[in-house]
Amino acid sequence: MKLHPALKRWESVLALLLIAEILLFGAINPVFLQPSMLLYATSDFIHVGITALALTLVIITGGIDLSLGSVMGLSAITLGILWVGGFDIWVAAVAALAVGTMGGIFNAVAIHLSKVNPLVITLGTGFLFGGAALVLSGLAGATGYEGISNFDPAFVNLANLEVLGLPLPFALFLALTVGFMALLHRTRFGRYVYLIGQNPRAAAYAGTPVFRTLVVAYALTSLMAALSGLILASYFGSARSDFGTTALMPAITAVVLGGTSIYGGSGTILGTALAALLVGYLQTGLQLVGVSSHVSSALSGGLLVIVVALRSLSEMGRVWFQHRRVLRNVAAE
Amino acid sequence: MIIRFLQRHREASVALIIVFLFAVLGLVDHSYLSLDTLLLVYGNSLILFVLAIGATMVMATHGLDVSVGSIMGLAAVVAGLLMNAGWGLPASIGAALLVGLLCGLFNGVLVSLLKVSAIVATLGTLGLYRGFVYLLSGGSWIEGLPENFKALTKTGSLGLSPVAWLVLVLLIVAHLGLRYTAFGRSMFAVGDNREGARLIGIRVNEVQIVAYGLNGLLAALAGVIFASQIGFIPNTAGTGMEMRAIASSVLGGVSLLGGTGTVIGAALGAYFMTSIDSVLVLLRLEAYWNDIIAGAILLVVLITDGKIREAVDRLLRYQKYRKFIDPQAAGQHGDAAKAATRPLKTALETSEAHK
Repeated sequence: MKLHPALKRWESVLALLLIAEILLFGAINPVFLQPSMLLYATSDFIHVGITALALTLVIITGGIDLSLGSVMGLSAITLGILWVGGFDIWVAAVAALAVGTMGGIFNAVAIHLSKVNPLVITLGTGFLFGGAALVLSGLAGATGYEGISNFDPAFVNLANLEVLGLPLPFALFLALTVGFMALLHRTRFGRYVYLIGQNPRAAAYAGTPVFRTLVVAYALTSLMAALSGLILASYFGSARSDFGTTALMPAITAVVLGGTSIYGGSGTILGTALAALLVGYLQTGLQLVGVSSHVSSALSGGLLVIVVALRSLSEMGRVWFQHRRVLRNVAAE
Repeated sequence: MIIRFLQRHREASVALIIVFLFAVLGLVDHSYLSLDTLLLVYGNSLILFVLAIGATMVMATHGLDVSVGSIMGLAAVVAGLLMNAGWGLPASIGAALLVGLLCGLFNGVLVSLLKVSAIVATLGTLGLYRGFVYLLSGGSWIEGLPENFKALTKTGSLGLSPVAWLVLVLLIVAHLGLRYTAFGRSMFAVGDNREGARLIGIRVNEVQIVAYGLNGLLAALAGVIFASQIGFIPNTAGTGMEMRAIASSVLGGVSLLGGTGTVIGAALGAYFMTSIDSVLVLLRLEAYWNDIIAGAILLVVLITDGKIREAVDRLLRYQKYRKFIDPQAAGQHGDAAKAATRPLKTALETSEAHK
């Protein structure tokens, strides 16, 4: 049984799962197969995908960013505060993206300075950025549930604009997927990212600009989180400090399900993008079939556990077969 | 000397910060500096204490459990449903604890036997267990819990509620158990060097599974305490608690890389995280300052700690190689040693420069 090498890749499995999932839901409820339904359903979860693309870089370097959910809220609130303060909405949006990027640079510098596990540092900065968002919205007198609204209509319409027949957020996601694929798989920076993840010490001895690479990776992640915050603000027409709290875990799920090793050193952007769609459509599809959104989140958690456990088991099985074959050959000699 | 001491006893630095926090409070208003305030904060931090004990155990084995918030919610819902269905108090609490234990054991099996990385496995079960919460409760709050259940966290003897006494005992038992029993030490051994622990005869997988199992049990206890304290059970019970529990333990000196940490340290960390809340209220600051202050202090502690550890390492290395770098310190060896070690000195300096 010879399989084509491209079919053995994890991405092909994900793509097949995605198609099977869409067909399955389509069979239960034909509405699901309508192109407009498939396209506009993405607006509910695409912010997770956009953030997960950049998070892939960080996880490949062997790090992690737990602060991205807080950055989403912070960027949305920054936008809201500046808009209320009388700034032009586009100036405010650029400022919000800048604040997000600064957060990422802060993460990388703190990790570099303290040499402490990124998990711990970004846990701390997560509290810090989330706290900053809360303080800003508190000072502006915005209540938790309503947040800041009444944005410029041009900004609110952004999320509903169509580009080449695709909703703008989804088009942005596709463009960013291509961009990140080029960045990670076709540039020197991308190779540095893998090298640092494989062996940080060897990378440092080989003269890799480790610190600079990490700053860029974390800054990109925060920038994408800030962008997602803006997309959410445009989609909902309001800015709240707790926007990102539910996005962190799905983003990590998408990266890990996409085949990136949580220990760093391997992974692809395409895998993350497919996994983000897989998880997103699972939620939408289940809701359409009539399963409540909470149960569907349980199922996507269960999916993560099963997939990762199966991959781990198959790896253990492969090693076991290899050992047995070697032992047999030795015995035969 | 002081730096050395703080390095040895991470608990002390958290204790210092707590003292500082209360000193600020005392400056603002003397009347707040009383046993009542201390006990108030203690009462508010019961849940975090229990979670921090569990987090310490799991982190000691070089693991991590981000599903504790969901286990808390699940246990609370199980206890609430059974109580409202007419089960007795001990039976329903026992069932809730059993559910927590099973959830924890499942995490442990995923991590140790199936070799899934801890954060990924528990991330999955975080969603899974939260889904069970909604399935069981049908999406609605559970109200009308029996009065004798709520009484468990009402102030009783010596200003502490029955549960508060239980948690105190639990803290002491867990601290001593982790430090002075063979099983407690084996958790740290597994976290420090898994292969080494296996070679000296520790059942590595079993230790890991039990650590996660106990963590689940404690998370369930935290859920029961939560339900008893607020008197009803929302579906979101326990959401976000996992991050607070991990932050408390890290603040108290438990390393995420496994092998070090004490329960007392983690408990002080938890006490601190809660005291910010209460102190802000007493200082009449808005509650929304809470997270930013907690985050800033957490970062300052972590970064200083990292810097101190680096400095101590450098000092140790310097003392180890001093006789090669500075021949005078080595005494009579004189010129020969000096000539011989010249290349070594430059090598050391360049390696320092690279760091």
